[in-house]
Amino acid sequence: MKPPALANWRGYVRVRIRGQYAEQLLNKLSAKQMLIWDVAREEDNQVSFFMMLPDFFRLRPLLKETGCRVHVEARFGLPFSVKQVRKRTFFISGLFLFLLGMYMLSSLIWTIDVKGNERISTDDVLAAAREEGIYPFQWTFRMKKLDTLSKELNARLPSTSWIGVTRQGTKVVIHVVESTVAENRTLRNPSHLIARTDAVVTEIIAKAGRAVVRPNTRVKKGSVLISGIVGSAQAQQAVPAKGVVRGLVWHEYEISSPLISKQKVLTGEFTERHYVQLGERRLQVSGFGDIPYAQYEVTTDVAATSWGRVSLPFGWITEKIAEVQLVAEERSEQAAMQEGLKQARFDIVAKNGPDARVKTEKILHQKSENGKVKLKVLFEVEQSIAVEQPIIH
Amino acid sequence: MSRFTRKLRQWTAHLFDLPQDMLSNVPRFTMIGNRQLFVENHRGVVHFSSEHMRLSLVTGELEVFGRNLVIRGIWTEEVFIEGSIIEVKVHGMEDT
Repeated sequence: MKPPALANWRGYVRVRIRGQYAEQLLNKLSAKQMLIWDVAREEDNQVSFFMMLPDFFRLRPLLKETGCRVHVEARFGLPFSVKQVRKRTFFISGLFLFLLGMYMLSSLIWTIDVKGNERISTDDVLAAAREEGIYPFQWTFRMKKLDTLSKELNARLPSTSWIGVTRQGTKVVIHVVESTVAENRTLRNPSHLIARTDAVVTEIIAKAGRAVVRPNTRVKKGSVLISGIVGSAQAQQAVPAKGVVRGLVWHEYEISSPLISKQKVLTGEFTERHYVQLGERRLQVSGFGDIPYAQYEVTTDVAATSWGRVSLPFGWITEKIAEVQLVAEERSEQAAMQEGLKQARFDIVAKNGPDARVKTEKILHQKSENGKVKLKVLFEVEQSIAVEQPIIH
Repeated sequence: MSRFTRKLRQWTAHLFDLPQDMLSNVPRFTMIGNRQLFVENHRGVVHFSSEHMRLSLVTGELEVFGRNLVIRGIWTEEVFIEGSIIEVKVHGMEDT
């Protein structure tokens, strides 16, 4: 018969009974509801059977009653293996030491990550964290609570508006949200505002300093517009002058504009070439032969394949070769002149800032030669004329 | 068990067509081929060896002869015998 359920946990033994009245012993055992199995008569008139370990300890009085002797032949189950294991102290202590070491090492902090900082250096955050008790090889159970940590770190680092501390196992992540700080004003030394070019002042607004000139005054290049020296003659003070000064400035332009303009025009004829792309290489599939056009433009369209976000190293390339004709357009002297003036106006704005306004334009000289219109134009432009000049004592 | 109760039990068993061992302390033997013998309602082992075995019953005795007889399990009421059984004899139950 098989051993009963959980016999391996409780332990069981195989015993050999020596004595005259072994049958009586069997009867008494079964009467006391002790479980025995596989009873066999051995050659030398002894009886062997299996029994549970707890029952074995209750066997002694029955043996006395029946005058039998017992000999344990074999032991099975956990209680005996535990006993076996106890002999191997070093092995078992190694096992426990390993578990202990594993636990200890996993309850240390190994890495600290700082995320989200731009102005504050990571070292500063780490130094503050160290003072709060977050540093490598710190015990996790010695750390304060994460929410108090984040509050105290936030107090320690004044330029942060929020700090979050999270711990995942042996890793601590410090999320930093920096507070937005107003931009620092650049400190300026005491200075005048002087004229950049010769001009006629149209508008002068002094925000700091003293306006020296009035509107409709003619100024030379380098003359002071807004003085940085304020106060009475007894108590003078130098300040950085600030303000807006606009004036009329004359710009002379020499423009040459061709009477024939050449333009590329697509005729509508096109052929296509297809390629299969494999990594850096491409293999032509269609559209072989010479290009039948004298002048052409090529546009390339790459259809790359991708799997989700990962782009795969093969694709399909379509080259469109479109025929182009150069069309020479003849325009009138007037149109060429207008085109030239337009270019010049763009140039003025590009050079003198977006607030430059062309007030008047005078064509001083105009002639057409060699298929070009040559112009000499005087632009009267209202623009900012102030430039800073430091006051040197 | 008095004579009256035994008669009453026998009568009810007869009336409801129940097996005898359900009501009276009659042993039940279950034998599977000549390999296994299951005895219920025994009253202890009298003799046990690998060739010969005697079991006490309520009245009389059961005698088993065979080779390599082994008690696979023994409980207060039941015995489970295994081995190649040659002969089974019942003594002392003739008049019940």
